[in-house]
Amino acid sequence: MGIASDRFKSYFHYPANDFDQMDRILEAKPGAKVLLLGNEAIARAALEAGVTVATTYPGTPASEIGDALARVAKDAGIYFEYSTNEMVATEIAIGAAASGVRAFVSMKHVGVNVAADALMTFAYTGTRGGFVLVTADDPSCHSSQNEQDNRYYALLGGIPMFEPSSPQECYDMTKEAFEISEKLELPVIVRTTTRVSHVRAPVGVGTIVPGPKTKEFLKDPKRFVTVPAVARSRHIVLLERLKVAEDLAGKSSFNKIVRIKGGGRTGIIASSAGFNYAADAANSLGLSADILKLGFSYPVPRATIIAFLRNHDRVVVVEELEPILETAVRAIAQHESLPTKVLGKEDQLFPRYYEFDQAIVEAGLERTLGLKTNPSLEGLVDLQGVPKRPPVLCAGCPHSATYYAVNKATNKKAIFASDIGCYTLGVSPPYSAADLLVCMGSSVGTAGGLAKVNTLPVIAFIGDSTFFHAGIPGLINAVHNGHKFLLMILDNRTTAMTGHQPHPGSEKGPSCCDITAVSIEEIVKACGVKWLKVVDPYDLKTTTDAVKEAIAQPTVSVIIARRECALIAKKNEEGAILKKHFIDQEVCKKCRTCVDRFQCPAISSIDKVQTIDDALCAGCGVCSQICPYKAIKEAK
Amino acid sequence: MSDIYLVGVGGQGIITASRVIGDAAILANKNVLLSETHGMAQRGGSVVCTARIGDVQSPLIPDGQADLIISFELLETLRAMCKANKDTVVVSSTEKIVPLSVSTQKLRYPTLGEVGAQVRKAAGKFVPIEARTLAEDSGVPMSSNIVMIGALAGTGATGLERGHFESAIEMNIPRMIPENLAAFAKGFEAMDKQLH
Repeated sequence: MGIASDRFKSYFHYPANDFDQMDRILEAKPGAKVLLLGNEAIARAALEAGVTVATTYPGTPASEIGDALARVAKDAGIYFEYSTNEMVATEIAIGAAASGVRAFVSMKHVGVNVAADALMTFAYTGTRGGFVLVTADDPSCHSSQNEQDNRYYALLGGIPMFEPSSPQECYDMTKEAFEISEKLELPVIVRTTTRVSHVRAPVGVGTIVPGPKTKEFLKDPKRFVTVPAVARSRHIVLLERLKVAEDLAGKSSFNKIVRIKGGGRTGIIASSAGFNYAADAANSLGLSADILKLGFSYPVPRATIIAFLRNHDRVVVVEELEPILETAVRAIAQHESLPTKVLGKEDQLFPRYYEFDQAIVEAGLERTLGLKTNPSLEGLVDLQGVPKRPPVLCAGCPHSATYYAVNKATNKKAIFASDIGCYTLGVSPPYSAADLLVCMGSSVGTAGGLAKVNTLPVIAFIGDSTFFHAGIPGLINAVHNGHKFLLMILDNRTTAMTGHQPHPGSEKGPSCCDITAVSIEEIVKACGVKWLKVVDPYDLKTTTDAVKEAIAQPTVSVIIARRECALIAKKNEEGAILKKHFIDQEVCKKCRTCVDRFQCPAISSIDKVQTIDDALCAGCGVCSQICPYKAIKEAK
Repeated sequence: MSDIYLVGVGGQGIITASRVIGDAAILANKNVLLSETHGMAQRGGSVVCTARIGDVQSPLIPDGQADLIISFELLETLRAMCKANKDTVVVSSTEKIVPLSVSTQKLRYPTLGEVGAQVRKAAGKFVPIEARTLAEDSGVPMSSNIVMIGALAGTGATGLERGHFESAIEMNIPRMIPENLAAFAKGFEAMDKQLH
């Protein structure tokens, strides 16, 4: 069927009608060009590089790397795990790589903060097998609490770094990163951004070469046990290796000059997504310029930069977020007493925040070079009054029910410490159930501080995956130091926000491995918590009563609000027993309680009439418990 | 060079639709770049995907430079107009997913006529498609995203052939291939009828 079925077959081993059996990441044949997400290209490269152990903790925009490896781990014969958090994920990979196999770990940018303690010292011991850490940064905070520039981690730790600009480079550089890591015996960072990780494009792939299953650790405590005497000597080793790394960067084919319209005396230095915008902007402006594209960007190849500066009258540095390359280029120019004008963020050409686009780079180049760009377009459609559509908790989301119950129990007279996950969306009205949020696990710790100085009750919300990730030390601290607040563990049995990955409480894990579910209740009890209740948030009365009782306790109290994520429940039998609901318009008094005090995408109020969209209704029945007139009924 | 801007609401299958475009472009031996929305915005928020077929580096479409705007939801069509110019063809599903803000802030969801009038001010052409009805007619109510891909193919403005899209649909939606191809055909014909 279709003109291209034959070509299609050449991509994969499976015939087209067996397609649901197939996974592109594993099945793409050597030499084929396949449409891959940047993240999937990284996963494929890790398989081709022969990783033995791969780990992650999910987080946008990195999640699809781990998800791809989780799906194919069994067939590819690698070990893959969703680790409890990024630090553990990194440590697992360190243990494997120190033994001599190749190991791979991926995470979002803020995950590296969690992993940093391990990573900074691992640069001292160095590695035996190739060790690659992917950090996926998120300029513009599309799905993050900050937009920190993780290239600083390369500088901070002395860790060589690659910055791909495209899915093909994601693939090429990840493979190369393993080679460089083994050559230098150092960990290597591959740093992407949202617009690299989440771009899909044709990627030419090679052959998957399985790595060894086992390798015996060769004892060498003078290298691997970082007592002060060892650490001191290893720091010197690290600095010497960075010199070698700089030579390798100087010779790397990933650091290259791209000529636009034959090149010229104007130079641009760019990396990552910044390169894409710079190239498109230079072409669109009809500029004759050379772009020095840095793919192996740390250590900065000094000799390459010096030569480029010598050959150009002015050099514009195009990089998103922090002026890291720019500062390095300026320092080199100053040190070498070069007259070349270096331009960038210091000259207010480009912002130090948010992701770039072609227009931003065009405007910056125009200002520097005195060019004339197209006048900016006036918005022809006035968006004022066009209803906004921010992300919301789904129809049937158990968090909605929990927040409704908490508001009812406290009459909103409480302070809410929130955490990272779907439930952060409870910040919006009508729940307004988030007052303070900084990072994974912070709800528990900040609740202790809030409770010390506030007279209102303090309630912390944390998801199940986030509780395992970073909530447990905070809870132990609360018991030990006598903090008084209510911790609500919103247990929807999955890591929902990032794509429903398993966590330590799950029963089913990645394809390769059997896992053991760890009980949240047992952990809470073992932390020393004296008051614990488990409720079903769909049962509003019980949940509301539990909250009232919990906030009256003299010590830290814990409620586990347990109900499977509605998006998963929809797909299994538990979802099927729930009943769709409708609003009986003859009984409805148009009081708007169901839209003003509850938030469900299936319930709308148009022209003063409230209705439930049958297609969207998840059948949780929570709204029927809320309606003061019992107008919301089960559909027959 | 063809710049296609796809908009809609999280959960409407826009990423799948953009993958179909991507695979169709590879089958046609063309370079293609797609960008996708993942993460928090997928929870019922506005989502954007881009597909650029041709020789470019950056996946984002500059303002005013989309050749085609494919909107999977009527209201979202308005939000996409920043990418339109007087030659842009805007294909919009008539499907309405009422955002919570309409209910909670007592705002009004615009009519098809109002959206059409706004779009015609900013773009070259406005083509409404009854995607949900056509999807139901083809036997898979979930396939309105494929109806919209059919409508996109029906514009004839992508430089890709109908067969490329059909093969790409088989590659990306392994279940219920005949029904999805029927949904594609319905979208294709609906567009053909409106344009010619």
